[in-house]
Amino acid sequence: MAIFRQPQSGLELQDQVAQLYTETREDVYRYLLTLGVHPPKAQEAVQEVFLRLYTSLKKGEKIESLRGWVFRVAHNYGLKVRARQSSEEKFDPAYETRLMSPSANAERELLDREKMSRLNNAVEGLSEQQKRVLFLRMEGLRYPEIASTLGISASAVGEFLRRALLRLKKVRDE
Amino acid sequence: MNSIFERHPEQDLLRYLDGELSARQSRRLAGHLEDCGRCRAELEEFQATLADCASFRKTVVAQTPEAPAPWRDLYRDFSRIDESLANNSLLVRLMRPLVHSGVPRWAFLAGLTVLIVLFSLNQLRQAPSVQAATLLKKAVAVSQSQPHPARRIRVRSSRHPEFTRMSGVQAALVQVAQAEAVATLFQKANWDWNDPLSASAFEQWRDRQAQKTDEVMAVNDPAEPSEHLTQIRTTSAGGEVESASITLNTDDYDAVSERLVFRDQEWVELSDIAGTSTESAGGAGVPTVEPPVRAAEPPSRPAAFAPGSSASISDEIQVLSALNGIGADLGDPVDVSLAGGKVKVTGPAEIPAQRQEEIRASVASLPHVEVAFTSLPPSPTPTVVSAPNGSAAGAVNSPMQARLEKQLGGHAGFDRFSTQLLDLDDAAMQRVYALHRLAQKFSPEDEASLGSKDRAVLDELSRKHIAVLAEKLDSMEKILAPALSALGGTAASVPPAAHANWQPAADDVFRSASRMDMLLSRMLGMTPGNASPSELMTALGELDSDLADCRRALK
Repeated sequence: MAIFRQPQSGLELQDQVAQLYTETREDVYRYLLTLGVHPPKAQEAVQEVFLRLYTSLKKGEKIESLRGWVFRVAHNYGLKVRARQSSEEKFDPAYETRLMSPSANAERELLDREKMSRLNNAVEGLSEQQKRVLFLRMEGLRYPEIASTLGISASAVGEFLRRALLRLKKVRDE
Repeated sequence: MNSIFERHPEQDLLRYLDGELSARQSRRLAGHLEDCGRCRAELEEFQATLADCASFRKTVVAQTPEAPAPWRDLYRDFSRIDESLANNSLLVRLMRPLVHSGVPRWAFLAGLTVLIVLFSLNQLRQAPSVQAATLLKKAVAVSQSQPHPARRIRVRSSRHPEFTRMSGVQAALVQVAQAEAVATLFQKANWDWNDPLSASAFEQWRDRQAQKTDEVMAVNDPAEPSEHLTQIRTTSAGGEVESASITLNTDDYDAVSERLVFRDQEWVELSDIAGTSTESAGGAGVPTVEPPVRAAEPPSRPAAFAPGSSASISDEIQVLSALNGIGADLGDPVDVSLAGGKVKVTGPAEIPAQRQEEIRASVASLPHVEVAFTSLPPSPTPTVVSAPNGSAAGAVNSPMQARLEKQLGGHAGFDRFSTQLLDLDDAAMQRVYALHRLAQKFSPEDEASLGSKDRAVLDELSRKHIAVLAEKLDSMEKILAPALSALGGTAASVPPAAHANWQPAADDVFRSASRMDMLLSRMLGMTPGNASPSELMTALGELDSDLADCRRALK
């Protein structure tokens, strides 16, 4: 991943951040939901994160991986928001019921659906940290980026991920 | 790395797939894969599982509830940021049309001069004071519209020792000498001492000043670079306070810090150390200089704050206790040591800025503490023990696992079983490590040299770890015992240990817990190797007995 160079004109920078925003916002939004942040707050947070990114770049900060930066700031911001909403229920995306309901994806084959549902159960069974590492990996982040997002070492990321996959592997064997 | 390649590099297969190995390691592993069918098979398993995850992600993406509102167009915000960010670049922008329109050079320069003059006048006089007043008004309105919980603030000053206090509560709380001196200063200046670090206290003071100048600027907190902060600095020609500045969080108008400079050049700094008070207050009783009630005698700890004295074990305990209050002694890679007359709290710079700030804040009020987060190469995480040679077929088919699965009614049952156990085991091992660290840090001799209060804090910390550990262990046994007995496991009787001190007992706990952890991990197929039901039951019994001994030795 090349070091991001600040473009010459301010407009170019705006375009660059706006483009990243369009490409990445849904991913960051989804990640915040998995952290238990409610949808409206999560959406707000995503927008805020990109504005912070723009501010930081505008100030001349060198950021090595924009995507990694966005997830790291979103993660911290999300935990803060979630702490504030602690009196309310933690948001539960409830993928399981969606996956189980036949109307949700009628075109999907029954077998496939069952497998996804099993996989979902297995993912639910992972420890909190394993889940986060897995989700971030699936969002295409590299180990050092995941590590700095979660505040653990890159070798711990590898180990968490390995353990998580070993557990998920069992689902395939069923 | 060398030794691992002589065996099967299970640990590295996933890293290899994910492109996280160095080029050299990758080449070596690729070479090994050519010769080793077992590892190739395992690699394929990982590939297939990752493919499953990818299609699972696709399903999840399709099922994620859409964002509740249309996504905002950020361009307008970008322009707003541009404006607020760069007051000086405003000049540049104003000049740009002139430069491009072919205006003669002298006219351009004259225009520029006029602009500079206008701009500076504007900067110096009107704009900042309007800006400051508006900002303060907003901040006061926001703080009044929300419940304002009591919070802990840190007070530093040029002439008095540092202390912390609660603010925002009606209280004649602080009667400690140094607090009294600062309180007097504030009262003389007519500055609300009850809630001194607030936009309203600042606004009230500012409104009273007849002749004043304001500055408003964006500032950066190095510990939290993504946070937007705005600082208002007001200088007054009369009154006790010569200048005062308040730093507000631009996002929620929360007052983060304040600095007052008095006429006689004494200064006082107030800062919010939010987020650390609630947990720690209920927990291990973190010592602070602020007595909960009016102290009958002069405070007993001033010696600890005398400048020039150096840190003692007692200070170290206070730091450990404060870190325990925010859970930083469990998961975080934070180290505490006593060196060079200081209690040093160190950790890697990779810890998120917010957590770093929490850690700093938790120990901010304690004497002789130095906190440093540095980018050192991360210490390798303890990896699971590999079997010396491929005795079992990888992590998949331990013979015990097969028997257990049968016993538990199939894969699904086994999965639930192992998930529960591994989570409990993780939580238990965290406590084991924390307890072990305490025992290593404070030898029985060290402990004997402590005052009764410090000994109580240390005692409480150890007890807490033991209590949680015992609880997790109990839950593990409830899940394990029926399954293991059904497989014919019996626990060998363990001779009871009896240590006079809790430290060696904690060492035993560490040893037996590590053994239990390893056997469990083998039984569940997470680590290659064999573990019989009886071995695991015996290990659990040993750990139980060691834990009881440790508890007893704590007296």
